[in-house]
Amino acid sequence: MTRCWPAGLPVAVEQDTLAAPQTVAWAGRRHRVATILERWRIDEGWWRRRVWREVFVLLTTSGLLLELVHDLRGNSWYLQRLYD
Amino acid sequence: MTEPWATPYVELHCHSAFSLCDGASMPEELLARAAALGMTALALTDHNALYGAVPFVQAAQSYGIQPLLGAELSMADGSHLTLLVQDAAGWRNLCTLISSAQAAAPKGQAALEWEILARHTEGLVCLTGCRRGPLAAALQRWDRTSAYRAASWLRDHFGVGQTWVELQHHLHPGDDLLVQDLIALAQHLGLGYVVTNNVHYARRDQQPLHDLLTAIRTRTPLESAGLRLRANSEYYLKQGGRLLPLFRAHPQALTASLKIAERCTFQLQYGLHDLPAFPLPPGCTTESYLRQLCARALPLRYPGAAERVRQQLAHELRVITRAGMGNYMLIVWDMVQFARAQGIRCQGRGSAANSLVAFLLGISPIDPLAHDLVFERFLSDERPALPDIDLDIAADRRDELIQYVVQRYGPQHAALACTFSTFQQRSALRDVAAALDLPLDQLLATEGSRPSATQTLAHQLIDQLTSLPRHVGQHSGGMVLTRAPLAQRLPTEPAAMASRTVVQWDKQALETVGLVKIDLLGLRMLAALSEAEQLLATPATSVELDQLTFDDPLVYELIARADTIGVFQVESRAQAQILPRFQPRCFADLIVAISLIRPGPIQGEMVHPYLRRRMGIEPVSYLHPTLEPALRETLGVILFQEQVLKVARDVAGFTPGAGEQLRRALGSGRGAAALDPFRLAFLAGALARGIAEPLATVIFEKLRAFGGYSFPKSHAAAFAVIVYQSAWLKQYHPAAFLTALLNNQPMGFWPPAVLVRDARRRGVIVQPLDIQISAARCTLAQGAVRLGLNYVSRLGAEGVQRIMAARAAQPFTDLRDCCRRTRLPRSMIEQLILAGAFDAWGIERRALLWQFGTLEYTADTMDLVAEDDGSAPPPLAEWEAADLQARLLGVTTGDHPLARWRAILDARGVQSSRSLLDCPDGMRVTLIGTVVVHQAPPTAKGVRFITLEDEFGLSNVIVQPWLAGRLTATYGTFEVLGIVQRASGVTNIVATKITVLGSGAKAGP
Repeated sequence: MTRCWPAGLPVAVEQDTLAAPQTVAWAGRRHRVATILERWRIDEGWWRRRVWREVFVLLTTSGLLLELVHDLRGNSWYLQRLYD
Repeated sequence: MTEPWATPYVELHCHSAFSLCDGASMPEELLARAAALGMTALALTDHNALYGAVPFVQAAQSYGIQPLLGAELSMADGSHLTLLVQDAAGWRNLCTLISSAQAAAPKGQAALEWEILARHTEGLVCLTGCRRGPLAAALQRWDRTSAYRAASWLRDHFGVGQTWVELQHHLHPGDDLLVQDLIALAQHLGLGYVVTNNVHYARRDQQPLHDLLTAIRTRTPLESAGLRLRANSEYYLKQGGRLLPLFRAHPQALTASLKIAERCTFQLQYGLHDLPAFPLPPGCTTESYLRQLCARALPLRYPGAAERVRQQLAHELRVITRAGMGNYMLIVWDMVQFARAQGIRCQGRGSAANSLVAFLLGISPIDPLAHDLVFERFLSDERPALPDIDLDIAADRRDELIQYVVQRYGPQHAALACTFSTFQQRSALRDVAAALDLPLDQLLATEGSRPSATQTLAHQLIDQLTSLPRHVGQHSGGMVLTRAPLAQRLPTEPAAMASRTVVQWDKQALETVGLVKIDLLGLRMLAALSEAEQLLATPATSVELDQLTFDDPLVYELIARADTIGVFQVESRAQAQILPRFQPRCFADLIVAISLIRPGPIQGEMVHPYLRRRMGIEPVSYLHPTLEPALRETLGVILFQEQVLKVARDVAGFTPGAGEQLRRALGSGRGAAALDPFRLAFLAGALARGIAEPLATVIFEKLRAFGGYSFPKSHAAAFAVIVYQSAWLKQYHPAAFLTALLNNQPMGFWPPAVLVRDARRRGVIVQPLDIQISAARCTLAQGAVRLGLNYVSRLGAEGVQRIMAARAAQPFTDLRDCCRRTRLPRSMIEQLILAGAFDAWGIERRALLWQFGTLEYTADTMDLVAEDDGSAPPPLAEWEAADLQARLLGVTTGDHPLARWRAILDARGVQSSRSLLDCPDGMRVTLIGTVVVHQAPPTAKGVRFITLEDEFGLSNVIVQPWLAGRLTATYGTFEVLGIVQRASGVTNIVATKITVLGSGAKAGP
């Protein structure tokens, strides 16, 4: 079953120098990123509240399929979706 | 890779603010950023335009960056292509393509047909475009066949080496896939591929500004702009290292950008002096024809021409021929000939007035030999640059001349310079409010309170927006003429006005590259002089202003007593202050008079020393004997622009070129630092000539204070002709002069109300508006001026035409008849009644208004007269009637309102502008008048100058800063307490107290 966190669940992520995730801490384990399947950025709404974030859809070596959000304003990471 | 940020890359797809509302950075800003990022080249690819090419190339030089010129073209099917210029053939083709795309479509919606592109691919590098490019667009809808077909078409027409598949990755969903597909397609067709970033702003933080521009362009508030805005802020100028992660598998696609840049070797040419060849009569050369024309004019201008004149002519013709200027002079001569034949007044301005040839050709109105004008200031063998010849033309008929030039040389060879209107603070405020969907007043900070976050944001945006180009328009009169078709030199586009074409470069850019521009400037006074001439052309009288010799003592007396309201250039308050002291007595004095009241001489504090020397109060002296040759004619002070060059030459040995640079630097107002190199060179040069540093510094300071804002003598001389002619008209034909002035407003210093009262004081009869008599314009009949319908504001051409047409059928019998037959809006009839247009029927205005209220008429139904209840409003007092006339028409034909109070004012000991003349210097007086001019010139350091009018004329009030701050109104009726100050025939009152009796609007429309 796919699990969803609309407001985002804060997670610890190690990133490389170009801001791509390398490991994700989840359920007491560190999961190494195997492949980034898709990534996109949005930066909009500056006239009310700026939303600037990058979304990664990735596969870990442990077999998780995650949708991870990187809030680029606060440099914080959230788990948005965990595919079954 | 050791240093990922250093990946070699240059940007080949970059929009500047000249993509008009689709780019947030000026070319200079983009180049500065590119330099900071270490890019060796940068392309400018605005939408369907090369507007920014010249400033881009110029700025690129100063940053040491190779400028690549190009454009993003919109195709007729809606797709986009990026084209870069490789060589001269490519430049011609790009100009042709842009012109063609622009010509075919409404303004701002250029569209290029593919078959036209097919014929103009040589010398161009084609990048396949952004997401809207024919390849990417097809691939996004999974239409590989169309993508393949489009790519093959481009390859077949541009060639393999010239066609590059353009890869863009802006971190949108699907970009990875699109890039992969594009690369696969390129490899399949054997094409190269290259990364671009489709830049729309220099820095990421300019994304809000770009979104704002998008909202303005699409007239949509940001909140509802949705997909019209780009989803993120990745469209900034990025260095290779930032792009590399997105193209990790294809680093060669980044370095390919340098390869393309290397191929583009095109350099924009400067010093293009490319005029159409003037069509000569058979058997003539330019030189012989020019000589022939001058020889023909010689006996008319100089009967029994002296040897001196012939020698000068021969000399000038030699220099003109050597400089290759003859063709240009014939072209201008031809324009002047046409204008004369059509009765359009025109005359050359600027340095052409130094030339005898220009005088003989009728280009310049002034005999250079009689007025000591030196040909070398127009053209000399030492000066490489050819001078511009500019023409002043009767403003109302300038279009005819422009049309003639376009027809004579063909629309492919003649077009107008463009201008860029920019965002201004005020309009930007409205635009920002609309984009944020907020009422205007919410953005205006309330005094005392801290600005809200929205206000702060709005003001940051307004500041960024201000001075970005917004629209392209047509320059008021700068014409570009080329021998080669314009389209091969620079792009053109249709102007807003039908059948007009503008080039995509403005005046400044054209000057920079040296394309000849002939300024055809509209001058309203010339139109007024023409109209006066026509008014006076009756079987009994006729006047030919151009035949006047400049020697009528009555004309000089008029000017010397500053009786100059309405006269060109010498009518202002400041002029009226100096003329009685200056006492001009000859034409040369007029040249000086109009040169005195310029910012340069005023700021340089030359005016009073000149006047004192002129009046013999102070001896003529020179700071150093070397200054005498340059300054002798102006009694030792600097008045004319070219004297800066002469002083620099005589004191410090500056070449004419260096002197010109100095003059420009002085006028640029860029502060002391920018002048330092000139100062050092000046001091060194002076020392070499034995002038010690302290004195040289004093002289340099004089030049600095003088600045650059002044007339060249030749220009002042050409203007002085108009001064004399207008003064002559005022002296001998004041009624015709007034009529002509009234019909050519707005112009000059004084509002029409002042012109009318001034003329009435000299006995001119000015008759009021009359619905039965007044014509469209003011007219002159039996020596009296009749106000025209053009003085009824908002009546418009349509309203005037209706009145004239109805009246031509038969005169109006009464108000009802007038309403029924003109069917003018009620408010317009009311205005006509109140303005007194129906007074001649002898029905008092308020009564007529009452009648009108009961009168029903509409466009199509019969009017019904409602029952009159018999009550009538009280009639208007005489002053009320005059006041209404003044407010509605901007002029009054009756007495000044103060006239009716004069007896009371006299009894109270209040002075008038007339009695003031009998008050001795230093006397305390009280004066009442209405303010007609209220000036606070920046040069006066807080002092204000108020001109009061009463029924006798004008008086000058000087208001010191301490008092100026207490004024509660700028216009209205003022009571002034003050002290009379009289010197050399000029009377001023220095105010000690001002009471505002009634505030009002500035007089006149």
